[in-house]
Amino acid sequence: MTLPRAPLQQILTKYPPKESSLIMVLQDVQDAYRHLPLELLVEVAKALEVPKAKVIAVATFYKAFSLEPKGEVEIRVCRGTACHVRGGLLIMDEFKRLLGIEEGETTSDGKYTLEAVNCVGTCAMAPVVVVNDTYYGSMTVNKLNRILRATKSSKTADAAREETE
Amino acid sequence: MQLTIDKRSVVARKGEYLLEVAQRNGIEIPALCHHPAVEPWGGCRLCMVEITHPDWKGWTGLVTACLYPVQDGLIVSTDTKKVHQVRAGVLDLLLARCPGSSLIQNLARQYGIEETSFTPRKAPDLCILCGLCIRICEKIGASAISSIGRGVEKLVSVPYETVATAACVGCLSCANICPTGAIAFSESEHCRTIWSRNFELVRCEECKAVIGTPEQLEHFARRSGLDRSYFTKCDSCRNREAAARFVRVTF
Repeated sequence: MTLPRAPLQQILTKYPPKESSLIMVLQDVQDAYRHLPLELLVEVAKALEVPKAKVIAVATFYKAFSLEPKGEVEIRVCRGTACHVRGGLLIMDEFKRLLGIEEGETTSDGKYTLEAVNCVGTCAMAPVVVVNDTYYGSMTVNKLNRILRATKSSKTADAAREETE
Repeated sequence: MQLTIDKRSVVARKGEYLLEVAQRNGIEIPALCHHPAVEPWGGCRLCMVEITHPDWKGWTGLVTACLYPVQDGLIVSTDTKKVHQVRAGVLDLLLARCPGSSLIQNLARQYGIEETSFTPRKAPDLCILCGLCIRICEKIGASAISSIGRGVEKLVSVPYETVATAACVGCLSCANICPTGAIAFSESEHCRTIWSRNFELVRCEECKAVIGTPEQLEHFARRSGLDRSYFTKCDSCRNREAAARFVRVTF
């Protein structure tokens, strides 16, 4: 599989070619390709003059990076303390049932990735679900279907949130 | 400057770290992640010592000796109850991680620990994640190995074997610097194997002792700016040759 190189080239022109740019570049690569493919990591290493081993150490250290392709829609279910006590586990179970995947997995059509995160910093809205970059607070099990429906149609994030409220 | 380590007055230069000064004066402080060839790191937390200063109004602190810069008048104690406690805590954890390591077992025994109070790791290896191998590999300029992942899953490896092992020169520095002997390698008549990669061996022209792998010698020649032909004999043969030459010149 060869990946398009244009996005990577564009990302690399945005930052100075040195080691301190590494995390920013990897973040952008993760956004553009939805994962960090090995062939691109090698090119990043070359462009920034950082040893490949170091690039891979950074890529495997941060939870925000993934070596496996993530789905178009990334669903993060918070299981921080506040979300946990307000039913975060039930939310997770319902997502698993609806999507037919386990935590950390991606649906076979590459549409959804389901993940548990430890805290998203919005405990007052517990339990929280983050879909791509949209935060959904005070979640209940029967609101989840609507979130999934909203991601299927090409509605804006705001419209999707309104619908669940 | 002057400081006191275990009631002994010792001299130190500005910019030195406590551990170096103690070691130079024969005062033993256990350390696992420290090696003079690489920058101090403060990873193993075994070299903790208790410090105080006449100006500190009785305040004392626990610091890692390998990373604490010397200071005039500092009073360092390497064997107090507190120091003993933290080191015992570290060793208890290390013993849970590497129950099979004789080095850790012996150190733990010195701190009164025969068996870990934690649940030992399932299928343990000998790696204590001190990072010495990664740092020496970086220092050498190969940077072939790195830590992969984080937390309980963290390990030292050549990531994506086929890609990263290409950077390995087979010098064995990582295996030699490892305090617990966690990095496996083997050497036969003509072949050295480390990180699942096979290397040819170059032998000394004179005495046939192993001097390294072609990749390693090439790398060292490049880094040192010396000619590749400098690396055809082993150190002792080269020394003998130089000594013979000096004898001819001087006498």
